[in-house]
Amino acid sequence: MNNEAFDAKKFDLLTEELRYVITDMVCCAGSGHLGGALSLVETFITLYYRVMNVDPSNPKWANRDRLVMSKGHGAPVWYAALAYKGYFPKDWLPTLNADGTKLPSHADERTVPGIDATTGSLGQGLSVACGMALAAKLDKQNHTVFCIIGDGETNEGQNWEAAMFAAHKNLDNLVAITDYNKLQIDGFTDDILGLEPLVEKWQSFGWEVFEMDGHNRDDLYEKLTAAKNVTGKPAMIIAHTIKGKGCSEIENTIGSHNIKVPDEAAREKYLSAMSNADIELPY
Amino acid sequence: MAELHEMEMRAVYAQTLNELMETNPAVMCLEADLGRASGTVPKVSDAHPDNFVECGVAEANMICVGAGLALEGKIPFCASFSCFASRRVYDQITISVAYANNNVKIVGTAPGITQGPNGGTHMCFQDLAIMRAMPNMHVYSPCDVYELRAMLRQMASSDQPAYMQLVRPKLPKIFDDNATFTPGKAVVLREGSDVTLVSTGFMTKFARDVADELSANGVGVDLLHCPSVKPLDIEALVASAKKTGAVVTVENQNIVGGLGSAVCEALGENYPVPIQRLGINDQFGEVATEGYLFDKHCFGPKHITEACQAILKRKA
Repeated sequence: MNNEAFDAKKFDLLTEELRYVITDMVCCAGSGHLGGALSLVETFITLYYRVMNVDPSNPKWANRDRLVMSKGHGAPVWYAALAYKGYFPKDWLPTLNADGTKLPSHADERTVPGIDATTGSLGQGLSVACGMALAAKLDKQNHTVFCIIGDGETNEGQNWEAAMFAAHKNLDNLVAITDYNKLQIDGFTDDILGLEPLVEKWQSFGWEVFEMDGHNRDDLYEKLTAAKNVTGKPAMIIAHTIKGKGCSEIENTIGSHNIKVPDEAAREKYLSAMSNADIELPY
Repeated sequence: MAELHEMEMRAVYAQTLNELMETNPAVMCLEADLGRASGTVPKVSDAHPDNFVECGVAEANMICVGAGLALEGKIPFCASFSCFASRRVYDQITISVAYANNNVKIVGTAPGITQGPNGGTHMCFQDLAIMRAMPNMHVYSPCDVYELRAMLRQMASSDQPAYMQLVRPKLPKIFDDNATFTPGKAVVLREGSDVTLVSTGFMTKFARDVADELSANGVGVDLLHCPSVKPLDIEALVASAKKTGAVVTVENQNIVGGLGSAVCEALGENYPVPIQRLGINDQFGEVATEGYLFDKHCFGPKHITEACQAILKRKA
């Protein structure tokens, strides 16, 4: 599957395979941030296979579209997508969090080909993406900088500093996506620190705002393409998603943020709970 | 045109950034609504509008925008009062600059008591300490305009994340057009064999005057100026301590964690000798003049002189 020839059936199969692989990676590590990785599977496949202009054989290609995942703990889905795109061998994937690994729990530009910025401390990535988008403007480059932030992460005030900055600088080469899975570590976002009205917040900060079903491939493609084409201001896509999507054991549960896999029984519990558990691991 | 040493430090900061931008368009100047205090508004903002980024009162965003610019090959200098450029954005610098290894230069203006009229809320006595405790971060403090210019040139030519203190007003001339700056290298400003006096940044001018006076009165002072607080020139420190057998440090900072602590760590492990640290003794600041604060915290010229004389009696 590539940008030119989209095949819905292949997309759906890849979605299921990545979900299974990501869950296995976390199981191999013994623990990990599974819920917020599974909520982004369709987003990453759409970005890397249909929307972003990238060259896996040349990860630092100057004209590539950039991606910053400010919710750096979602890294397993990014690592899996990059490996499937050919940035690095798939047999790296089960080394997530292992001693000496190149794939640490939070997204790391220093060790992982294809990662455009190191993140992990919430609230900083949107500002970093602003800097990258500003540099592209100054250098008269035409690529787009994508940035994924978490809904819980949106509690951090720095996001709103970046929101003002991006609009003030007319960074229309910046497309942000909020992974709105409605859950954060301590509970549901509505109960912890309510974000609503989220669409109006971003609109009032001067952004063009879209909403989409973050698990619907057609909606994803339509909104990501539309957001990329916005001119004169930055774009925010509020992606309605389900935390832990595809793993019935944790789907939409408070405990899905970081799961513990202490033994083989736990591993079996999570892997057998996948929407498609009949997947052959690629490593 | 005025001689360099007739200019304010901040004017030389702005002028040097402008010069660097002429030869390297990747050099950027970022401000968080204190550009007029740093000297870059309107000097840099008018001369190089494309290299100047006004971020508003949003220091956290400024540091991380700098990180994003650095990822794209720019060389951003992000300035604010030292209290906001260090402690307020410590996590942003730690993760998005030092940990991520992004080539961002951070400039903390009006360090320590030079923040005088703004008082205790704005006086930062711990930036040397906290920035020094951060892996992959260099920490510098120039003592005059010539060294400042050399330092900025070196910083712009390096991909090393660094934090630099910048005193804003005029400082007396110590170096000249031939000034150089090398990270990790101290400068011996006067040689003597009785006591080692170690200083950095704003305090070096006072240390020099004290060293001159003491030397004229028969106490030989080995004056070591450390523009690079991290990495510290341990070799030069040990050589001087071996020669004199006693060390006094003075800094415009809390003595907990700053230059004095760094010297104690280095000599404690390599060549222990009696050491006296001068600076702020673990207290907050207040609105006051330089003389008042020197007297209150006992680290002005008079106290430096007394400490150098007193430590002679502690020598083995």
